[in-house]
Amino acid sequence: MIKVTMTVNGKLYTREIPPMMRLLDFIRDELKLKGTKEGCGEGECGACTVIIDGDIYNSCMVLATSCEGKRITTIEGISGAELHPIQEAFLEVNAVQCGYCTPGMILSAKALLDKNINATEKEMKEAISGNLCRCTGYQKIIEAVKLAQKKLKKR
Amino acid sequence: MKKRGIGYAATFYGTGYGNGFPDESRATVEINANGEIILSVEVSDVGSGGISVMWQIASETLNIDRNLIKLQYDNTSKMLDSGTAAASRQTYNTGNAVLDACKKIKINIDKYYNKVEIIKNKKVLTELYQKFISDNQELKYEGYFKATTSQVDLETGIGEPYWPYTFGINRAIVEVDCETGKVDVIDVVAVYDAGKIVNPVLAEGQIIGGVSMGMGYAIMEEVNVLKGSIKNCNYSDYIIPTSKDMPKVTTYFVEANEASGPYGAKGLGEPAMLPTAPAILNAIYDAIGVRLTEFPATCDRILLELKNKGV
Repeated sequence: MIKVTMTVNGKLYTREIPPMMRLLDFIRDELKLKGTKEGCGEGECGACTVIIDGDIYNSCMVLATSCEGKRITTIEGISGAELHPIQEAFLEVNAVQCGYCTPGMILSAKALLDKNINATEKEMKEAISGNLCRCTGYQKIIEAVKLAQKKLKKR
Repeated sequence: MKKRGIGYAATFYGTGYGNGFPDESRATVEINANGEIILSVEVSDVGSGGISVMWQIASETLNIDRNLIKLQYDNTSKMLDSGTAAASRQTYNTGNAVLDACKKIKINIDKYYNKVEIIKNKKVLTELYQKFISDNQELKYEGYFKATTSQVDLETGIGEPYWPYTFGINRAIVEVDCETGKVDVIDVVAVYDAGKIVNPVLAEGQIIGGVSMGMGYAIMEEVNVLKGSIKNCNYSDYIIPTSKDMPKVTTYFVEANEASGPYGAKGLGEPAMLPTAPAILNAIYDAIGVRLTEFPATCDRILLELKNKGV
């Protein structure tokens, strides 16, 4: 067992974990945050996307012990009493069908808009291209990211 | 050199299991002492929007606000069988069962409440419940629907396998790179007659999703089976469309009323992806003059066909 300390959604956690534990399992099983989904488990689908120090990662491909001292954001961490503007936008344009890819999509969009609020449509498509969605055909997801961009600019 | 082409394809597709298979849906609706309408319907919703659709049909029929209708859909031990969320059948078949149940209770509601205004107040429903109790009215009503279907006679070809049919057409514009064989789908227009569209926003989502699957089918997705085992069962080698592959999709609905459907609706789930792949292959033919008879239109297939043609 290895001791690891990291900040998840603004809260400091210290846990004793097996050295080979994936960040995905740390989040879901140790911290019981079930919003992060496991899709393929091999870094292809993006369902397990989390933000680590501002960049997106597939948490199934990251060892939890490698996140010592890092700041992680999961889908639970982006909203407070009210929904985050990206979440609002996803609801408003119906960018959600089965919902399995949605947490990852929202975090990929957030990482993009946090870095570049003036992102173009092309950059938005690039930003979510690592998140596979079988239901929506992506069009409404891009519409939602555009709407979220407008909302965030107004704030 | 890149060449562009336009292709069209049409589909017609039956709603329901079809070919004589018993296709039944059930639903129950009841009024309770808390001033709520409980609609129990076994509508599995894996993103298709069935829950919203049943809710809308109930609210419209009962003239009661959605917030006063409680929908139970997730416990098969507590409700009657509505069949599967398959065969593009939930809106039409199960929607009809919900409509039937709601019409039955509505007859009795009308005895006590005959205003045109929609019921938004819980108190009105509590009072209705009291009147139902004092007049000894049934509190729970069952709705049922069985689709019209008969087995086709294989000798004569006569029979009514499906009722009703959904119609659709796609127009695809593609760009084919003659040097690499890569096909890009630039634009798709999808037009459907699925009867009255109960929820236009959800229906549009279904169509765009269908186009995405149809496009994957046409140019990307290939199952490699060797001696009975699939050789590409990971996302790294079974390629599906990403956000960067998707064309612009424009959706139109021709809302021809279907007399047997709930508020005129027909099924939409499966037909949403059917015409896309043939429209894309027709567009490839229009662009480079080669007729592919095998899916998907991958770079190697395109290049081989071009070579065979001597281009």
